[in-house]
Amino acid sequence: MLSVRIWGDRGSIPCPGPATVKFGGNTSCLEIRADDRLVIVDLGTGVKPLGDWLMGNDFKKGPIDADVFITHTHWDHIMGFPMFTPIFIPGTKLRIRGPVSYEDETLESIIGAQLSYRYWPVRQSELAADITYDQLKETQLDLGDGLTVRTKYLNHPILCLGYRFEYQGKSIVTAYDNEPFRNVFPTDPKDPSYDEDAAREGELAAREENEKILRFFKDADVLIHDTQYTKKEYEAGKLGWGHSSYEHAINSAHKAGVKKLVLFHHDPNRTDEQLEQLEAEYKHRIAGKTEMQVMMAREGLVISA
Amino acid sequence: MSEDAERKIQAYIKNMPSLPTTVAKVLEVCNNPKTSPADLNQVISLDPVLVGRVLKLINSAYYGLGQQVTSLVRAIIMLGINTVKNLALSSAVLRNLTSKKDFQALDMDGFWRHSLCVGVAAKVLAKKRGVDPKQAEEYFTAGLLHDIGKIPINAVLSKEYVMAVSISDRERISLHRAEDRIIGMNHAAAGFMIAKAWKLEGAVGDAIAYHHSYMEYTGPHKDVVYSVVLANRFASVMEIGFSGNRYPEKIDNAVWEYLGLERDVFDEIEAVVNQEIEKAKIFLKID
Repeated sequence: MLSVRIWGDRGSIPCPGPATVKFGGNTSCLEIRADDRLVIVDLGTGVKPLGDWLMGNDFKKGPIDADVFITHTHWDHIMGFPMFTPIFIPGTKLRIRGPVSYEDETLESIIGAQLSYRYWPVRQSELAADITYDQLKETQLDLGDGLTVRTKYLNHPILCLGYRFEYQGKSIVTAYDNEPFRNVFPTDPKDPSYDEDAAREGELAAREENEKILRFFKDADVLIHDTQYTKKEYEAGKLGWGHSSYEHAINSAHKAGVKKLVLFHHDPNRTDEQLEQLEAEYKHRIAGKTEMQVMMAREGLVISA
Repeated sequence: MSEDAERKIQAYIKNMPSLPTTVAKVLEVCNNPKTSPADLNQVISLDPVLVGRVLKLINSAYYGLGQQVTSLVRAIIMLGINTVKNLALSSAVLRNLTSKKDFQALDMDGFWRHSLCVGVAAKVLAKKRGVDPKQAEEYFTAGLLHDIGKIPINAVLSKEYVMAVSISDRERISLHRAEDRIIGMNHAAAGFMIAKAWKLEGAVGDAIAYHHSYMEYTGPHKDVVYSVVLANRFASVMEIGFSGNRYPEKIDNAVWEYLGLERDVFDEIEAVVNQEIEKAKIFLKID
C-alpha cells in the first residue's frame, strides 16, 4: 500500500491565522508510506506536527527510521527541521537526501546551519539522532523493500528535484517548486539582443525539457504539483519566479495520464475562501473532459496511490 | 618531452585560468541582477576558457545530467540563469587570472581574436553548408577552443615557447612543428590534455587534437574537424587575430573536397565573420 499524507502545503512562508484554518498554514511537508516504510518529503514547518504524531504513534513500536528527501534548499522547505522532535531522540535514523546548487557548502551544512547557537539553542553536533546526508542529482535509487525513487531536475531559480516514488506498481510523484521551462532568449528580431541561433536553440531546449517532465509524470497514480498562481497571475508578473499556474499543472497532468492531481504549494496570501472557490472553479472547468481527479492540497489529507 | 614538463602542464591545466580580456565583463554581467540570459550567453561565449569550464561543470558528475550539453543556451534553460552565473563567476574569479607573464611568446589580444575568428568562421561555414543549426554551436565551440593548448605551454614553458616561435619565424615552418622540435609536444596534444580534463571529448576534443594532423583523422567528427581546419586557414589568410603561427601550412585539397566548398567562400563569409567579431568587440568594450 502506497499513500501520502499532507502535513504542510504552503509556499514561501508559514501563514497561520483565521484565513488558513481549512487548508493549513504550514510549509511543505509530505509523509509517504509504503507499507512499513516511512518517507518524508521536505522539512517545511509541517514536519513539526508530523514529528509530534510520529512520537505519539510510530515511536511506540520502535525508534523512528525514515528516508527524507528535500526538493530544494529554499528556506520554506527546510525551516521545520530544528523542531522535528525525533532528531533529539537517541535511536532515530534519518537518511536526508537532496540537491545542492553549485557552491561550496554541503547539504549537511546548509540544513544543519539552522542548528547553531545564533539561530537555535541546540547545535547540530548535539543531536541524538543518527543522521546521514547525501547530495542528489538526476538519478534512480533503490530504497529497499521494493520501494524505488527516481529524480528529475525541475525549473526553479535553484537546483530543485522532483521525486517519483514507486512501490508495488503504484507511483507518487512530486513536482514542486516548478515553473514550465520556457525560452528565455529574445525571439523578436527587432530586439537588440536577438540572436537567431540562441532563439532557435532556446525554443527547442525548452520544448524538450518540458517533454522530459511529462515523461517523468507519465501515468502517475498521484501527482503533487506546484500551483502557486492562477494563469492570469503568472502571466501578469510571475514569470521566472519558479512556480506554475493551476492551468499548466492540470493540462500537463492530464496530458501525461495522471490519475490523481494534488494542487500544492499554495500562495501564502491565498485564503481558505479563495482556495475553495478556485478548487470549485477548476473542477467545473474540467468536468467531463478528463478522468483525472483533481484536488486542492490541505493539511491532513491522505491520498492512496 | 620530459616527464617534468608534462607534469607541469597537467598541474597548470588543473587550475587553468580564464582570459582577463573578458573577466571584467563576466563580473559585471554576473553581478548585475538585471542581467538577461542573452547577455550572459554572449559574455561567456566570447571566452574560450570560460566556455570550456562552464560546459565541463555542467557535464560533470556534479549535475549527473543524462545527456551531454554542448550549448550554453541549453545549459541556461536547463539549469537556470543563476546556476550558470554562479558557474561562470566561480570559474572566472576563483582561478588565478592569466598574467601577462604567462603570455610571453604570444600576444594575448591577438590570440583571443584569432580564437574568436576561427569559432565564428567555423560556425558560418557550417551554416553555409546547411549543417543542422542545432549543431552549429558545436562548430563554434570547437573553433573557439582549437588553440587552447597554447595557453599551458606558453605559461609553464615560456622560454622554450619563445624559442619555438622564433624558430618557426626563422625557418618559415608552421608553429606546431617548431613546438614538436623544441618542446617535444605541440599545442594540439596539450590541447587534447585539456579536452580530456574538461571532458570535451567528441567533436570539440577531436578538433583540438587534430586541427593540424587532420589527414590522419579517422574518427566520426570529420565534418567539425575539417571545418575548424578551414576556419583556421581563413583566419590566417584574412589576417584576423594572430596566435603565433606566421607560416601556417597550406591545407590539403581533401578538406575543400570533403566540405564541398570553393576557394571564393572566404570572400563570401568575410563580411559576416567580421561583423560578428565587431559585435563581440563592442560588447566587450575592447579596441
